[in-house]
Amino acid sequence: MSDKKTVFSFSDIHVEVGGNEVVKGVSLDIKEGEIHAIMGPNGSGKSSLANALAGHPSYEITGGKAMIYGKDLLEMDATERALAGLFLAFQYPLAIPGVTVANFLRAAVKAKHGGDEEALRSFRKNLKEKFKLLEVDTSFATRYVNDGFSGGEKKRLEILQMAMLDPKIGILDETDSGLDIDALKVVSKGINSVATGKNGLLLVTHYQRILNYIKPDKVHVMMNGKFVREGGPELALELEEKGYDWIKAENQQAVEV
Amino acid sequence: MITETLTEQKVAFRPIAENEPDWLYDLRSRAWDYFQEAEMPSQVEHLWKYTKPKWFMPKEIEKKMSVLPVASEIKDEEIAPLKPEFAAFGCNHGDRITYTQLSEELKSSGIVFEDIQKAITNHPDLVQKYLGRLIGYDFGKFEALNMALFNSGMFLYLPPNIELEKPIYMHRHPDDKYNIPRLLVVVGDNSKATIIDDYAGKANDRPYNANCAVEIFGGQNSQIRFVSPQNLYKESRSYVTQRAQIDQHGRMFSIFVSLGSDVSKFNLGTILNGQGAYSQMLGILFGDEKQHFDHHTMHHHKAGESFSNIDFKVVLKDKALSAYTGLIKIDEKTLNCEAFQENRNLLLNKGARAESIPELEILNDQVRCSHGATVGPIDPEMVFYLKSRGYSTDEAVRTIVAGFIEPLLTAVPEDLRQMMQNMVQFKLNNGTGE
Repeated sequence: MSDKKTVFSFSDIHVEVGGNEVVKGVSLDIKEGEIHAIMGPNGSGKSSLANALAGHPSYEITGGKAMIYGKDLLEMDATERALAGLFLAFQYPLAIPGVTVANFLRAAVKAKHGGDEEALRSFRKNLKEKFKLLEVDTSFATRYVNDGFSGGEKKRLEILQMAMLDPKIGILDETDSGLDIDALKVVSKGINSVATGKNGLLLVTHYQRILNYIKPDKVHVMMNGKFVREGGPELALELEEKGYDWIKAENQQAVEV
Repeated sequence: MITETLTEQKVAFRPIAENEPDWLYDLRSRAWDYFQEAEMPSQVEHLWKYTKPKWFMPKEIEKKMSVLPVASEIKDEEIAPLKPEFAAFGCNHGDRITYTQLSEELKSSGIVFEDIQKAITNHPDLVQKYLGRLIGYDFGKFEALNMALFNSGMFLYLPPNIELEKPIYMHRHPDDKYNIPRLLVVVGDNSKATIIDDYAGKANDRPYNANCAVEIFGGQNSQIRFVSPQNLYKESRSYVTQRAQIDQHGRMFSIFVSLGSDVSKFNLGTILNGQGAYSQMLGILFGDEKQHFDHHTMHHHKAGESFSNIDFKVVLKDKALSAYTGLIKIDEKTLNCEAFQENRNLLLNKGARAESIPELEILNDQVRCSHGATVGPIDPEMVFYLKSRGYSTDEAVRTIVAGFIEPLLTAVPEDLRQMMQNMVQFKLNNGTGE
């Protein structure tokens, strides 16, 4: 078996939002270099799981364990999780009016690297490279974060941030939604550039589309707060073909039996 | 009773300057009578809804704060030379220390920049022409008190056709009494000046009260940039009335930064007096602890084709309060004016409170006007977004606040922006406002 290290894992995670349990005990284990996908219909709890793992205060983890490189994730607040190497690409990235992309990212890089002069020195060069990678104009640097951005621009900026911060585990919450095919290709290229073989990625999506460009090692199907099926990349294709209903039906039967 | 104490102090009517001119004595006497007879402003009046008038009453009027000429306690040799970045410098510490300095090239320009008492002696006609024309003795109770007993201040007169590149810097610093300064600024036709009226200071750790009047006259085609940072000691109370009047095609750019004082009430107005006059007002307020701010701004369009804009941004934390009323007044026959007003309030926690009340008195239809006000808490989703990028909660809040103020800062002329940024940054980093 693989002797690769686990980058990120969680087991029996339960999440409540406003007193309702939306995630009901899910587990997975992501090893170095692995890409996992969580797929599921709307309302299955995927985004709640992603937000809860990133430490969103409205999503309360009421049970289970989560570890990042052997450290207890649930002991940390959102800042500490980010500094430990977790990155969440938001489904709906927030606008921060008055704060330029360059300043926003410089502060994030500084937070990550502390007093490391080299990281800050190479910031400009690094940023330029990532602009190129995600095919965005250099004027991005002086625009206010997500302020007046199109849906596609927001998603590009999320991935650009991920590429700049080079996380240990990147959680991508429906990054593919709202992207046209060209943008999807560019964004996928950006995501693949982050997958260095040392870190892990967790794609949350309900379409198989993005998995044509980013090959997952494992696919987890989530419904009603639980992982109901797991498999390899072929599972995603099966879902694309048949939709979610057949799993739903099977699952219903299983419950009835 | 407070007023009785004051009545006994008729002593106040000793000459303001050696040989106080009759017109001034008369003006001050009328002001004194008005002050005594005027009722305290009622809190039913909307401008006093949030702030108690008695907070600004002097407990007693001491002999020292009467209207004798200021005897500067500072010797010439103790005064540092004028810094090269300024065209002129004026210093005013309470009623004890006062001096002004002019750069060499200004000395022969006909400029008058003096302590107000000296100016009354040296240029009585000039002072008479302007003093009290915008804030008269009957403007209001506290304005009357200022007129009757002003005991310090500056007079600046810039003749026509002089363009100053460097700013005139005034450092005004109240002392631990009831301070009554008066500032009079006249900028002649086609002249151009930047004036920084730095109103700051902490005096012997004792609370003080300041009642300040500022009158500014901008001539035709004049350009004035008037910057007034208020960073008074946190135990102090300040009451400031400012009026500017801008003639034909004159331009007034006023910036105020409110950071200090325990209680402050500011009434800031610009009168667009000539056709095509222009006024841009930018304000930043940052309050914390139990600070209480009460700002009123006014743009009065008395002439057609005039333009005004006010953008006032307020950030409050802890239990700070800001009340803002903004008046746009356009007369019946003044057509084709444009007037805009925006007031945004950002509350950093639950205890902070902001009120925003726009007032429009627009008496004709041929105008372009808009106003907007928002009061809202800091968005927790925004904080989370920044935290998810490794920002600490404090950094996240500071970043959001800085972003909130940023569009206003970019409207500030570049040479003044750094100064503004430094002041805001200082307060954001938990500066104590001293």
